[in-house]
Amino acid sequence: MLDAPLINLYHPDDILAWDSTGPRTVREFVSDVARLTDALPDRPALLNLLSNRYDFLVGFGAAMLRGQVTLLPQSRAPETLSLIAKDYGESYCLTNAGESIEGIDCVMLPLQIGADHRPGTIPRIPLSQVVAIAFTSGSTGRPMPNHKTWGALVSVAHATASRFGLKAGNPNGAVATVPHQHMFGLEASVMLPIQHGLVMHAGRPLFPEDVRAALEEMPGKSILVTTPLHLRACIGPDVKLPSLEMILSATSPLARDLAAQAEQKLLAPVQEIFGFAEAGSVASRRTIETDDWRPLDGIVLAGHGMEWTIRADYLPAPARFPDRLSVQDDGTFRVLGRAEDQVNIAGHRVSLGDLNRTLLELDGVQDGVFFLPEADDGSITRLTAFVVAPGKTAKDIQVGLKKRIDPVFLPRPLFLVARLPRNETGKLPREALRKLAEHCIGESAG
Amino acid sequence: MISSNVSMFEQEVAKLIVDTLKVKVDPSTIQPEAALFNEGLGLDSIDALELALAISQTYGYQIKSSDPDIKENFSSLRALAKAIEKHRTK
Repeated sequence: MLDAPLINLYHPDDILAWDSTGPRTVREFVSDVARLTDALPDRPALLNLLSNRYDFLVGFGAAMLRGQVTLLPQSRAPETLSLIAKDYGESYCLTNAGESIEGIDCVMLPLQIGADHRPGTIPRIPLSQVVAIAFTSGSTGRPMPNHKTWGALVSVAHATASRFGLKAGNPNGAVATVPHQHMFGLEASVMLPIQHGLVMHAGRPLFPEDVRAALEEMPGKSILVTTPLHLRACIGPDVKLPSLEMILSATSPLARDLAAQAEQKLLAPVQEIFGFAEAGSVASRRTIETDDWRPLDGIVLAGHGMEWTIRADYLPAPARFPDRLSVQDDGTFRVLGRAEDQVNIAGHRVSLGDLNRTLLELDGVQDGVFFLPEADDGSITRLTAFVVAPGKTAKDIQVGLKKRIDPVFLPRPLFLVARLPRNETGKLPREALRKLAEHCIGESAG
Repeated sequence: MISSNVSMFEQEVAKLIVDTLKVKVDPSTIQPEAALFNEGLGLDSIDALELALAISQTYGYQIKSSDPDIKENFSSLRALAKAIEKHRTK
């Protein structure tokens, strides 16, 4: 059977990860994975919510060796987690010590600090094994599963490294501000380093000072895996990051002037990755040079007009682009805009239909709709919601939504209105919602 | 409204929060002791990052997660204003 090693291009005494407590060697990792593999409960699937990237990787590896699938929910909202957990054969959660999720069995890490080092070799995983399921928000109201094989994750890691000329020891490591439970985070902050002998930083720095501290802890030059939001903060005044090998940005479009400022200030190339949960990373561009995305090796674009799909040997079926594209003769493509129903807030993609359905299911809500205002500057634009719910307060609605949707999509502001501007066919024209928003904001300010 | 005991500097920071995060509330209605995150204003980690950027630009104070008082500093308008006054360089 075709397989690939769990981690690749390391010697047993190499540093695999850099934790807040110091280095973790490959030898330690092999031992930690073996111990956890024996300790996991006998279930088909799990939610790995560990916040330390090294712990997450130990859990991911152990789960694969037990043939268990790691579920990557699109949101941390409690109801989403329990919906997904129930759908997948009573799965359980791997959580940080002291953290539990209501209604789901939890196994906390670290299990025990044992000195018993288990000697062993680096395990190999069959390429065809489904190792993860990344969920996306669908218009049906249920999280949509996207199956990821080990082969798919390994292939994307290799294609990404080959695009940027990464090889063992050069650069030395990877520091990431993105969560490893997110598809891009899993690919770029876990798979990319561990398949190329890089040191993976276990932390998840948020503020620029955190990023600086993490980079300084690393034994050599690193790549920074991040998002436009974090990057904008990192080029702020008085921030001095150590020298970087490369910056890899994804999850939302990076403005060219931000990319240019970042290259100038951080003295490293800023490369942008295009991807989506259904297919993983599919293309890249150096933002200061071009608007055109060049597909990664092994990716084939198929389609015509505005409807395109991605094909790759490692994908079980073609994956439909969530965006409208124009594809050039040389195989590069340009993104023209989001498909109708999809919005992206700070790198989190969601179906508006899904959000609207959730809103309408709340107790006391007679009618309601989410609306994304036009962005006015570089900062994050939040959703607005209009709700018809006599007898309810805006706070009641927010509390109900908070249990069901990711905080990033909570409407800000939420307006209670007497009725929605539905036209004769019951539809809500965008223009009518835009006018309603103007009206409501005017009233609340006055 | 219990805004009589809000200091001038707290009002200034309230305005910075509202302007930076566009939370569409009147700065004078932010209760100085009320929670800024999750409950209260309902801010999240994206807001924390945006707010930290605005604070560093305006006051030269670089917030970091390893600050021992980080949770306390972000807990309310009053605590945040106090932390900024203590650490500001401009």
